[in-house]
Amino acid sequence: MSAANAPPFEANTEMRRDRPALRDPRWARWAIFIFGIGFLTLFVVLPVVTVGIEAFRKGVPAYLDALSQPDTISAIDMTLSVAAIAVPLNCIFGVAAAWALGKFDFRGKTVVMSLIDLPFSVSPVISGMVFLLLFGLQGWFGGWLRDHHLKIVFALPGLVLATMFVTLPFVARELIPLMQEQGTDEEEAARMLGAGGWRIFFSITLPNIKWALLYGVLLCNARAMGEFGAVSVVSGHIRGLTNTLPLQVDILYNEYNMVAAFSVASLLAGLALVTLIVKSFLEWRYADQLALTRR
Amino acid sequence: MSIEVKNVSKSFGAYRALKNVSLTVQGGELLALLGPSGSGKTTLLRIIAGLDHPDEGQVLIDGEDLSKQALRDRRVGFVFQHYSLFRNMSVFDNVAFGLRVRPRKQRPGDGEIKRRVDELLGLVQLDQLAARYPAQLSGGQRQRVALARALAIEPKVLLLDEPFGALDARVRKDLRRWMRKLHEEINVTSVFVTHDQEEALELADRIAIMNAAQIEQVASPSEAYDRPATEFVSEFLGFANRMPCKVVEGVAQIGDFVLAVDLGAYTGDAVAYIRPYEIALKKLNGEDATARATVDSIVALGPNARVDLDYGGHRLEALIDREELAALGLAAGDICAIGFSRAHIFKTA
Repeated sequence: MSAANAPPFEANTEMRRDRPALRDPRWARWAIFIFGIGFLTLFVVLPVVTVGIEAFRKGVPAYLDALSQPDTISAIDMTLSVAAIAVPLNCIFGVAAAWALGKFDFRGKTVVMSLIDLPFSVSPVISGMVFLLLFGLQGWFGGWLRDHHLKIVFALPGLVLATMFVTLPFVARELIPLMQEQGTDEEEAARMLGAGGWRIFFSITLPNIKWALLYGVLLCNARAMGEFGAVSVVSGHIRGLTNTLPLQVDILYNEYNMVAAFSVASLLAGLALVTLIVKSFLEWRYADQLALTRR
Repeated sequence: MSIEVKNVSKSFGAYRALKNVSLTVQGGELLALLGPSGSGKTTLLRIIAGLDHPDEGQVLIDGEDLSKQALRDRRVGFVFQHYSLFRNMSVFDNVAFGLRVRPRKQRPGDGEIKRRVDELLGLVQLDQLAARYPAQLSGGQRQRVALARALAIEPKVLLLDEPFGALDARVRKDLRRWMRKLHEEINVTSVFVTHDQEEALELADRIAIMNAAQIEQVASPSEAYDRPATEFVSEFLGFANRMPCKVVEGVAQIGDFVLAVDLGAYTGDAVAYIRPYEIALKKLNGEDATARATVDSIVALGPNARVDLDYGGHRLEALIDREELAALGLAAGDICAIGFSRAHIFKTA
């Protein structure tokens, strides 16, 4: 068999002899391979590449110019602020919720579990509307908030609330199955050895979930920075004030300012890439530790 | 230090795990809680440990009710069934954990901790593996780490839940012997749970045999074996042939045999348990033998042979020396005379 026409995922011969399930005809293997790569190219690689090409269509100076517009700088600032508040809060909530759901049995556990999943199934636009209904001028708490000179909607607090709602499940969902699987054996052992609650949490529970927690936080952060729908409703699109990066992209695009729109978009795409690279790097760097703690 | 369990009951929902159980463990003793799964032995152990709370009754350790005390002050060493080692810590850190979490005033210094942990690791013969992680250890090694970790807090009592349950037969046997020696060395009052009667008989000073949420008998291994207190014990400890019989005023009629029994003036149905080696086989000479049985089959088991007998429709298993069997010259299909050297007889309720 020549190497040139061997399918790229050729199982070694010994394996194929032992496992009839892997003895598919060559054309089938090729077909599946091409379909997989083609699909990935069309729906993932191509869009990302397009963003890059469009951003640099008029050269590097135009790209840098688009990014240094005051409105864009303000949008970057806003996005970072929202993420800086929403992600840590969700991280704390996620750990607490996963701890309660994964380690204890109580009445109504399934209800809480579905509630945590709710933001996944509700359209972000609707969740934005809900906050508008609650805290907007005509909303339930609108009058009270105005009397006390508090601004939630069309301001940073509203953006944080909407973002938190949408990204609520990320950390908890990542942790619950792991914590359930790990059970409470180690915590019980620590308790028998005389450790207190906080000590058990910080030296047993937390180290055992740190990798899942990190993934959860990375995903949560990526989503928090990229969220469009919910944020769009509560932001009010006040330029230079309440726009986040995705909203800024939308505005620039609607003004037919393609280079600027794609330049800003490239920041978001870059963020996704960085997230991926950080995740892969950590996995590679700590592979041995990961294997050890997984049991 | 002694352990006293007084009238403890515990239910999980509708399921009664313990019914009014009392038990005394003497200081320095190694006691086995033996019973089939679901008999409540692990629940009892967890209640002694303070991991579960009894619905009724109390547990005294060294005469003190510890239920009001925080777990850290109780100093109860517990070895979990699956060891529950801290997977993110090295062997050394696992063993040191109990010392490091002490309140500042009682906490030994780093040098002292290192000395104590090294000493314990030496005791369980794991000094070479201090830097390893639990995932890098074999089952037997993990078990010993768990033991060293429990001993690090200088426990008043040591509790072990199925300590050898997750190990293969060979390792189990070695560890058992090692553990008995260790107990003699450190002499901590210890209770371990097991469903393996061989383990209980070999390791324990006394055995508490549990069945259906109650303790059936507490006795030394030989006493429990020779003088089972209840029908369950005689059936659970080793194999015993079961034969229904009749008792008339203290005399039991088992098949062709008549035995005096200690049941007072009881008259009525009873059941007799006869251990395989309590059945004697004799050659049939003449016709005077009162009890005859047919040999169904013979199975060689090392130095012994198991002889399956048909005795008036009852299937009996007898165990005899193979040389003795050869001298008798018995084969399947032969008829022989049998005798019971002993039987344990219980009233049928």
